[in-house]
This record gives sequence, structure tokens and C-alpha cells, in this order.
Amino acid sequence: MNDKPRILVVDDEPQLTRVLRTGLKSRGYDVLAAEDGSSGIKVFNEWQPDLVITDLAMPNMDGLELCRRLRAISQVPIIILSAKGEERIKVEALDIGADDFVTKPFGIDELLARLRAALRRATVQTTNQVDETVLHAGDFHVDLESRSVTVDGREIHLTPKEFDLLVYFLKHPGKVLTHRTLLAAVWGGDHVEQDQYLRVFVGNLRKKLENDPASPRYILTEPWVGYRFSPHE
Amino acid sequence: MPIARTEPRWTRYAVGALGVAAATSILKLLGIHVNSTTVALGLLLVVLFVATRWGSTPALLTSLLAMLCFNFFFLPPFGTFSIAATDNWVALTAFLITAVTAGQLSARAKRRAEEAETGRKEIERLYAELRDAFERASHTEALRQSEKLKSALLDAVSHDLRTPLASIKASITTLLDEVKAQNDGEQTIPLDAESRVEMMEVIDEESDRLNRFIGGLIDLARIEAGELQLRRRWGAVDEIISTALLRAASSTKGRDVQVNIEKELPVVRVDERAVSEVVYTLIENAAKYSPDSTGIMIRARRSDDGMVKMSVEDKGLGIPVDLRERVFDKFFRATRDGDVSSHQPSGTGMGLAIAKGIIEAHDGRIWIESGTGGIGTRVVFTLPIGDEETDQQKGLS
Repeated sequence: MNDKPRILVVDDEPQLTRVLRTGLKSRGYDVLAAEDGSSGIKVFNEWQPDLVITDLAMPNMDGLELCRRLRAISQVPIIILSAKGEERIKVEALDIGADDFVTKPFGIDELLARLRAALRRATVQTTNQVDETVLHAGDFHVDLESRSVTVDGREIHLTPKEFDLLVYFLKHPGKVLTHRTLLAAVWGGDHVEQDQYLRVFVGNLRKKLENDPASPRYILTEPWVGYRFSPHE
Repeated sequence: MPIARTEPRWTRYAVGALGVAAATSILKLLGIHVNSTTVALGLLLVVLFVATRWGSTPALLTSLLAMLCFNFFFLPPFGTFSIAATDNWVALTAFLITAVTAGQLSARAKRRAEEAETGRKEIERLYAELRDAFERASHTEALRQSEKLKSALLDAVSHDLRTPLASIKASITTLLDEVKAQNDGEQTIPLDAESRVEMMEVIDEESDRLNRFIGGLIDLARIEAGELQLRRRWGAVDEIISTALLRAASSTKGRDVQVNIEKELPVVRVDERAVSEVVYTLIENAAKYSPDSTGIMIRARRSDDGMVKMSVEDKGLGIPVDLRERVFDKFFRATRDGDVSSHQPSGTGMGLAIAKGIIEAHDGRIWIESGTGGIGTRVVFTLPIGDEETDQQKGLS
């Protein structure tokens, strides 16, 4: 029985898949590569990988369509390899449910860090699904019933919307959350274009949570994309 | 008439009066040789002249003056404004009516002509304005399109520069990470010798790819700036082809490559290096976009119009008719941009654009046809055989 995490790499650039295959194998991952979205789906169904790394621009089926198809059948973590100039399509992929992105050209350590984080989240999510009333992550302790929040032992008072936003962040630690995703989750589908709401509430949350709101540790900005929540320890 | 408009108003009446006076004097000098009909017609001429030149009011005054002179000098009793015979009253009245009517009619005709002329000029002016506006608009549109194109080209170029860089960076950081981890005493699975060599091979190959791409960019820029300098010499077509084949040897290994050159093909006056580059590009493309087991056919013969016609043909998927011109556009790739499915890696999108630049600089032509029996792709180009007059180095215009 092979218990190495399985990684599926989907990219039409054979040299890059060659490097990733070798590089990831040397770090203890089991790797298969596919050259486009449609063969990616095929390998996914047959092999059931633990994580998918995909390029965006590919012939036949692109990365965006691959994310869409994968999300329809699975919650497998997806990391996008994007290039500058593909920001719009990258955000779209994140909106659909991709977990994270790495911009080309990237160092293998950056990719490995994202990969480890995504795999860790996936394990936490599957084991934590039963506990519904108390959320605990890093410095944060949130009681969903009494709606009380403590950060690093300090009790924090939040407005109902701030509380909802924090709970959503806590449920998706380390994941890149796009403006659209956050707006839809906290304010509902009618408000997905209203980035300014989000900016105000994130600003308020930072003032209440962060020691130095100007250089935040918990709610990190992903420029032009959204936010990433890091609960720390 | 524009000149008439600049004359002072009184001159029109003065000329009318003088005209009548002159006509009267001449008619009077002719004495008994003129009858009253001749006089009436003579004076009528003056009225018509004034009417066509200056319009209705001067014509009306000239008519009245002419009537008075007619009466005073030519209708008995002469030298008075009284008229003896009844028929002369009729003649005078008829003269007045005719003069006034004719004057008014010719003045109106003149006005119409002037109006028509003004209308024509106005239409011409509007047309010129419209044409200018249209030219300005299409110029702006062309600029906009060109900006759009530039940004699309920049995207394509940066993608092609970054792709090999991504592989290089990923390889080198994999190697580097291992060394660092070892130095820090971390537990890692060491790369085996084979993996390490593979990483270095990727770096080597991708650096070459980057270098080729940049070389292609420079060639393209030269062609577009009209700075492609052709060094024309008399050269044999078979040598050009064999040089290209030698360069492409690694990509055509194991393939059935046939070369068919017409006997007694004349030598051509071309830049051998540049044309050989074109043939090489076409062979590389044929090898890249057709199955390994299929053959490649290279032909050269004399065409009917006194040119040398060369072609490279493969047995691959072929290129759809609607893409056969676009594949010569720089950075266009049928496999990536044209929905032509292929499992082959796409090229840089510069080879055919450069080939076209080189062939056109030689006053030749390059195009794409279906291969024999409608299978595969045949890229054909023509080159003028050349003569002593094209001896000078020739640049692209």
C-alpha cells in the first residue's frame, strides 16, 4: 500500500511537467502528469489524486474548465499555475473554487509550501466537519452559539457582519478567498460587485484583531484577488 | 460671377446706360440703312447682356432707357417723345414687353446657374469634409487596432519568454533546495543522479529555447524595420536544401525524407543562408506537426513564370483553409490559437513569419496548400532566378 500523497500536474508544457514530476517525487510525493484538461480529468477519475496542480492556458480544455469540472465532482485541493497577464482568468478560477495560485516563474520551495498548506487544510477539513459549535484555529477561539470571539486570550467584540466574515475566514484558513467569494458568502449573491463593503469590514476587523492593522498578520491581502486568512499559533 | 459681385453697384447701371447710348449712336450712324426691327433687336442685345451679367434690376432699368432711346431717336417724329403712328405705339410697347421679359428671364437663368454652381461647390466642400473626417476616423481606428495588436503581441512574447524561464527556475530551485536542505541537516529524499541530470538537461534545453526565441525576435524586428540585408550570390538550390537538411537532421531522424530536384535547375541569385533558414524552418515544422512514422517530401523545380518553386510537404493533420494565411502572422500558432488539436508542443509562432519576410525580401511569394491527395500540409515558395541587375544588396522596402 502506497501512502504517499498523490499529486496530479496538468500543464501543456512538457519541460515543466518533467521538472515538477522529478522535483515533487524527490520530496516524497507520487506524481502523474497530464498535458491538458481533458486528459487531466481522465487521470483524476482513474487515479484519485490528493491534490491537483494546473496551468491555465492549455489547448483542448483549459485550466478554468478543468477547475469547473473538478469542482462538480470533488473537493480536491487545486493549485493554479498562472502567468502575469492572466489575472482575470486566475480570479475566475479561484471564484470557481481553486484553492491557491503560484505565479510563473516560481521556485520549487514556494510551490511546495503552498502544496503542503493545501494538503493540510484538506485533512483538517475532513476531520473537523463534525464539530459545529466551537471553532478553534491558531490564536482564535470562536463560539458560534454565544457568538463570542477570543484572539490570543483577548476577548473581542464584533458586529454581526464582522463576526460572519471572521467565521468564514476561520473555516477557510490559508486559502485564497476572492472578493466575490467573500461577498457572496457573507452578504449574499446580490452584492458580489461591491468590493467597497468588503474593504470597510476587513479594515474594521483588522483594527479589532490585529496588533498593528497597518501590517496585518491574520488577514493578508492578495493584491487584486482577495484575502488569505492565517490564524497563526 | 464672383468678379461681378466685387464691382460697385452703380457701375452696373452706368454700363447699362453706356451700352444703350453706344448702341443708339451706332444705329444712328448707320442712318437710313436700319429699320425699327433692327434697332429693337440691337437694343435688346444690350438688355440681354446686362441681364446675364448683373441680374434683373439693372436689366429693367436698361430696358426702360432703351425704350426711351428707341422712341426718341428712331420713331417718328424723331427728337421727341411723342409718337405719330399707331403701329409705332404697338412696336414700342412690344419692344418694352420683350426687353423686360427677356431681361428678367436671362437674369433668372443666370441666378439659377449661380445657385447651381454654389450648390455644386457646397457639395464638393461637404464631400471633402466628409472624406477628411473619414480619414481621421480610420486613422484613429488603425491606431487603436495597432495598440491592441501591440498589447496582444506583448502578451504572446512575455508568455514565450516566461515559459522556459518557469522550467529553468523550477529546475534550479529544486537542485538548490536539495543542497540547502543538506547543508541545514534537514531530512530530504536526495535526488538520484538521473533526476539531477534531468534537471540540468531541462535548464540546458530551455536556455537554448530562450536563446532561439530571442534570436527570432531580433530577426522579426529586423524584417519589420526593413533592415534585412540580403547578401545575394549565385547559388545552387541543391546545396541550399542539403544545408537545411543537415541542420534539421536531429528532428528528422528515422524519417523518410525525400528530395526531388528538377534536373538542370538553374542557379539562383539569393541570400543562401537566409533561404536555407527558410527551408530549415519548413522541414522543422513538417517534422513537428506530422506523425514520426510519416515521410517528408522536398521539391524544387522551375515554374512557368520563370521562377524557382520549392516546397516542403508533410503527411500531418494539415492546416484548415481559413488559417492558411494567418499562420504567417507573427506569434500565431495554429495548434494553440487556431483550435487545431495537436499533442505536439506549439512553436514560437515566429518561424513562418520570418520565412515570409525572407522570401518577400527576395521578391518571392510563400503560401500553403494541401499535400498530395489532400493529406498533410505543403508549404510552397517561389524565388526569382535573378539577373545581374539585382547584384546590389537589396533591403526590404
